[in-house]
Amino acid sequence: MSAIIQIEGLKKNFGKFVALNGVDMTVNEGEVHAFLGPNGAGKSTTIRCLLGVLRASAGEIKLFGQDAWKDAVELHKRLAYVPGDVNLWGNLTGGEVIDLFLSFRGAKYDKARREYFLQRFELDPTKKCRTYSKGNRQKVVLVSALVSDVELYVLDEPTSGLDPLLEKVFQDCVKELRNKGRSVLLSSHIMSEVEKLADRVSIIKEGKIVLNGSMNEISAKGKTLEELFLSQYKSI
Amino acid sequence: MKYLNFIIRRERIMSSVWLATIAASALLLAAVYPTLFPDEISMQGMLATLNNPSMIAMMGPVYGLESITPAIILAQNCLIWFAIAVIVMNIFFINRHTRADEELGRQEMLIALPIGRLTNSLSVISMSFVLNIATALLIALFTLIANIEGGNLVGALTYGLSIGMQGFLFAMLTLLSAQLFSTARTTMGVAFALMGISYILRAYGDINEDLMSYVSPIGLGLKVEAFYSNNFFPIIILFIEAFVVAAVALWINLRRDVGAGIFPARKGKAHASKFLQTPIGFTWHLLRGSFWAWAVGIFAIAASYGSVIGELDNFIMGNDAIKQMLEGTVGASTLIDAYIALLGYMIALLISIPLINCVNHFRTEEKRGRLEQIIATSVSRKAVFGSFILIAALEAVVLSLFSVLGLYATTYSSGLVTLSTLIEVTFVYLPALFLMFSLAVFLVGLLPKLRSSIWIIFGYSLIIFYFGRLFSIPEIATKLSPFGNIPQLPVQEFSVLPLIVTCIIATGLCVVGVAGIERRDM
Repeated sequence: MSAIIQIEGLKKNFGKFVALNGVDMTVNEGEVHAFLGPNGAGKSTTIRCLLGVLRASAGEIKLFGQDAWKDAVELHKRLAYVPGDVNLWGNLTGGEVIDLFLSFRGAKYDKARREYFLQRFELDPTKKCRTYSKGNRQKVVLVSALVSDVELYVLDEPTSGLDPLLEKVFQDCVKELRNKGRSVLLSSHIMSEVEKLADRVSIIKEGKIVLNGSMNEISAKGKTLEELFLSQYKSI
Repeated sequence: MKYLNFIIRRERIMSSVWLATIAASALLLAAVYPTLFPDEISMQGMLATLNNPSMIAMMGPVYGLESITPAIILAQNCLIWFAIAVIVMNIFFINRHTRADEELGRQEMLIALPIGRLTNSLSVISMSFVLNIATALLIALFTLIANIEGGNLVGALTYGLSIGMQGFLFAMLTLLSAQLFSTARTTMGVAFALMGISYILRAYGDINEDLMSYVSPIGLGLKVEAFYSNNFFPIIILFIEAFVVAAVALWINLRRDVGAGIFPARKGKAHASKFLQTPIGFTWHLLRGSFWAWAVGIFAIAASYGSVIGELDNFIMGNDAIKQMLEGTVGASTLIDAYIALLGYMIALLISIPLINCVNHFRTEEKRGRLEQIIATSVSRKAVFGSFILIAALEAVVLSLFSVLGLYATTYSSGLVTLSTLIEVTFVYLPALFLMFSLAVFLVGLLPKLRSSIWIIFGYSLIIFYFGRLFSIPEIATKLSPFGNIPQLPVQEFSVLPLIVTCIIATGLCVVGVAGIERRDM
């Protein structure tokens, strides 16, 4: 199995504040990799470095074997990203934003799949983004990501605004991606979601990875993911 | 009554600020106007300047020529602008408490309480009536307090009430619009369109002296001829119109669902156009609104400054500051050349504002967290930032063109300036404009936290523009401003060297700025 994402000794400082203090993490081809940690632990910062939005202060990030910062533009054709906090342009419609992202991403996609996912997520593409709720904004970005036929999906808390029915739809979609051999990096707060979907888990605490393992190993210890997660933070 | 209290509570700060601003402006204007026109000759000069078709189109008909007083000049110059300011405030006020509230789902919550269906509308109507009457009385009171020559109680009341009643009528028109359309944006858009149409109808009617001046509420409001004939009749008509519009709005309100309008919200496009799917098309979409608004604004400003060129002597006689500035520019040239040179400089300064905004908008997008999503696609940072820069450059050319068109539209009939002169005077500033937005590019790219310091450079240039002529300041101080090195045609000699140097510096700043964007965190 080859590594799709390989992060070694990643450090990121904002002025004097140390956001990431040596993150090591590997995501293999074809796995759903859950990325857990409380707010402020460094999940989104790691993902932003991975996407070349932020520049690493030290360490190495390889995406598909290439440098995540230097080769960002080329690499982004092979991945789709859903941010946790979705902000869209009020005077564009959902449909326009979806097309915009698909086109900017530059990956191939199937027009029929666009209709298919719009229906599956019950999204009206003719409404202006100004009028969308948080959940609907998230759906816009999710649809644009899922329609793209790429190798890696980077999803940062993608379900925080979705209702339980659509969360189920989302979970089915992730399972389908895995069955097709795609890789997914899924940052999440929802333990039940992670238990259902993830092959492997990385837990981050104060800018460092404190636990890294497969779901099988974790269940072999006889603990639920939630117990394991909470045990990491007992001291706080 | 409880409900009205609730609205008053929500509105207390806004309304207080509104009323205080109105009162202060009324006092200030009434106090300043007499000093601008100290004697009969300067007043006649001012009126002569205003008594030409383009100025009448802008500010309304001139009246009271045979018994001119500072108060008449004040009302003639200020009533229409005061009225427009009050109308704008009314449109915002009504929209805030009707459709905007409904869109946010607050009305639904209130309707669920034991409150009548019309309670909100009726409360908003009473509140707006009280606000506008208060506005009218404050304007009258503070105009009287300033003790302007020619001012009297009846005149002050017609002056104030004309403004207040126009405000109330547009409040009711906005209320009606809020019943018809289901989004706050459309409600406001339609209300502002009505104001615009009303202004244009008035301009048309005032020039041709026909009925259109009476059809337009803004035109009708001017017919009071405050401090001269003090005609109350237009105020009564405005009130009756407001009453009828309010009745229709209430009638519709009673018959519609909460949240719905008579006209359903327009559906947007389900697909993005090919153009929108390119970085430049996408950036254009973000910036086009302000782009065209500024184009229209620059055209209007250029046209209005151009329109006085025929009456330049009269115009300058009434204004010592302008006179002194022109003399600072003149040298051996004619008055008209000096005026044109000054205009070119001033309009270039104005045009630099939207260009800077255009570049700074990149940072705004970034701070709102939207650019991150674009950067995460295979569009490069350079492509996005480059699009903003390209549109700023395009805007520099287009706005300069609109300025030339505006100037030419109102000066060609006078035969005093040629089109080629206007083009030269305006377009010679392109390198300075290039330098101004390149400074913004440099700051956004390299020092995003300090990007506002561009306004220090702008402010400095503005000060140099104003005071550089009133006082003698060292040449080096002028040269430090990006605009200071540009030859002021047609007064000064054309020389190409400063233009080339300015362009080279600007290009350098752009290159460094773009390199900065490629290296920094987003």
